[in-house]
Amino acid sequence: MKTITLTLKKFSSIALEFEELIPDTVYNWSKEDFENYQVPIGNTRFPLTNYFDIEVEGDAEGPEDVKMILDGDMSRVKYIGYRMTAGEIIVNGDADLQAGAEMIGGSLKINGNAESYVGREMRGGSIEVMGNVREYCGTSYIGEWRGMSGGVIKVHGNAGKQLADCMSGGEIYIGGSCDILAGIHMTKGYIEIGGDVTRWPGGQMKNGTIVIKGKLSSLLEGFENEGIFVDPDIEGKQLTGKYIKYKGDIGVNGKGSLWLNAEKNRNLL
Amino acid sequence: MAYEEPITDYDHIVENCTCAFCGSNCDDLDFLVKGNHVVGVRHACRLGASKIMEDEDQRLKVPMMRDENGELQEVDWDTALDAAAELIANSVRPLFYGWSETSIECMKKGLKLTEYVGAVIDNQATICHGPTVQAVQNVGYPLMTLGEVKNRADMVVYTGSNPMNAHPRHLARYSVFPRGWFRQRGRFDRTLVTWDPKFSDTAKMSDIWVPFEENGDYGFCNAIRAVLKGKELKEDVISGIPKQDIIDLTESMKNVEFGALFFGLGLTHTLSKQRNIDIAIQLVQDLNAYTKWVLLPMRGHFNVNGFNIYMAYEMGFPYGVDFCRGYPRYMIGETTTVDLLNRKEPDVFLVIAADPGAHFPGGANMHLANIPVIQIDIHWGPSTELADIVLPGTFIGVETAGTSYRMDSVPIHMKSAIDPPETCREDEWIVNELYERVKKIKEEAK
Ligand code: SF4
Repeated sequence: MKTITLTLKKFSSIALEFEELIPDTVYNWSKEDFENYQVPIGNTRFPLTNYFDIEVEGDAEGPEDVKMILDGDMSRVKYIGYRMTAGEIIVNGDADLQAGAEMIGGSLKINGNAESYVGREMRGGSIEVMGNVREYCGTSYIGEWRGMSGGVIKVHGNAGKQLADCMSGGEIYIGGSCDILAGIHMTKGYIEIGGDVTRWPGGQMKNGTIVIKGKLSSLLEGFENEGIFVDPDIEGKQLTGKYIKYKGDIGVNGKGSLWLNAEKNRNLL
Repeated sequence: MAYEEPITDYDHIVENCTCAFCGSNCDDLDFLVKGNHVVGVRHACRLGASKIMEDEDQRLKVPMMRDENGELQEVDWDTALDAAAELIANSVRPLFYGWSETSIECMKKGLKLTEYVGAVIDNQATICHGPTVQAVQNVGYPLMTLGEVKNRADMVVYTGSNPMNAHPRHLARYSVFPRGWFRQRGRFDRTLVTWDPKFSDTAKMSDIWVPFEENGDYGFCNAIRAVLKGKELKEDVISGIPKQDIIDLTESMKNVEFGALFFGLGLTHTLSKQRNIDIAIQLVQDLNAYTKWVLLPMRGHFNVNGFNIYMAYEMGFPYGVDFCRGYPRYMIGETTTVDLLNRKEPDVFLVIAADPGAHFPGGANMHLANIPVIQIDIHWGPSTELADIVLPGTFIGVETAGTSYRMDSVPIHMKSAIDPPETCREDEWIVNELYERVKKIKEEAK
């Protein structure tokens, strides 16, 4: 097991790009390798040591034996865990854009808030965010019609707009509330939102499942009521309580299912 | 409006000039020229004519730099260009913004400079029709040329835009009033519809006004799509519109021969942003199961569309293209101007043919006040107050010829009618000069 600890000592307002510092590339790096490494910032590269104190302990045979700990405010460190396939990254602070984007395996834990595009086009592995995430969590690249296709994202706080657009697989759990158009254009996968949702979940969804345990303020016309279910078993997940089931979005002949907690959404009964 | 005497005091007329104001790019203007000044413009609307004629009082005529007291002082071209090149060559996160009111020829030089220094290049789409471009990337573009609308359309819908004020000749020249091949009686052969929360000047002259509530656009379009799929609407009022009105509107949209939907920033910048456009495009696709429908964004500046087309053609991405790693990247919120400024990333800002001082949010402008700003423009404006180096360009379509793209992506050659002021330089020349000088600095440093 190899533990790599990077502690922030200088904050750069121009973002650092960390896509080269993932377990897959650094598992055999020594402390000197890190000290010689130049990190991309804007159009230039600067020594990593300008910004971080570095500690390396132990050895690793492969990326799966690596644990990277990023201590400090990483709100200007982009692409943490980008395309990682194995190992573990822990961020003790906030994370910047694209954390866990295109991730394939391994785990990423953010003990703070995360900016937009967490887990964009993620294919596998797991991401846990203890705070909030901003817009476009688990989405597609602009113009791409396949978003997150595998893996699990768990957010304990709130999620911003257009969560998981074009999702085509995987699971997302949001503990708090969620803004507009969660699961827009989704074709497969599972989204569970613990809190309230502002408007229009599942716009133009073709398939997949969205569960909302809180109150929904505005439902789209493209959804048709399919009745009330008690303690439903949805894709192998046992929910408790009464849920209203909708099918949609009719605009795209969708067969997606949207489950709303009946108690919290009595106005729709 | 007071009666104005026709202008008779001019030397000669330059015919078929193009208006360098809005995205309608009217290319049928006649400039009345006297002593190297345009004293009158025929056929243009008031917006276009006033931009072309009343141009002199706030014109930037000489290169300027701020002195130690922070005042802009006149300097010679070499000093200003060298100082600007020095700033660009030494920057880590340069951002080159604007381009929508200059020619494609100038953009070409701009892209070369951007790629060479590893900067971000972006245009006004980032604060106007960016969401449109994203939606088009997602779901396609049921596009036409304005000529088709003129000759065929019997229903024209404007939503989230008010062309009577913003694109005054749009209705007169392309969409509603002109007599077309299949619409011999012009206005009488067409139904004009406005979907807009406001009773705008366009709504006032429309046959049908659909005042959906603010931010209700997505729900409204979704309801029309559901009706098209044969679903019975469950709510009595959707997005502020009674159910029966939506059903009737859908029915009449199905029963036209050729419909055209034009949308503006009222659609791109309400709550659901690109998803409004996304669903509008899909609505148009649905309608094509019954009859012919097309859609077009009402682009603002005369060449804002040109930048998107040019960048997409050259680099694969339409705007907000980041070259800092040596290859193009594009990610909304990460490589787009306002987001970069809000995050306080850029350390040098070059603005060409744009006015962020007037258009950007306060937070973004605050960062501009703290970093060196280089301005290439023809007029004094709020951005000049933020600029540290000012390089006066020339007026495309009046003083310099160039290429632009109309809102329906038709390229138009804009000719020149008069000579530029002697102390000004063409935009293309300035940007190329910056490139040469930056290159020299970088190569010497090696
Ligand atoms: S409609 Fe637009 S392009 Fe045409 S004359 Fe008026 S401002 Fe110029």
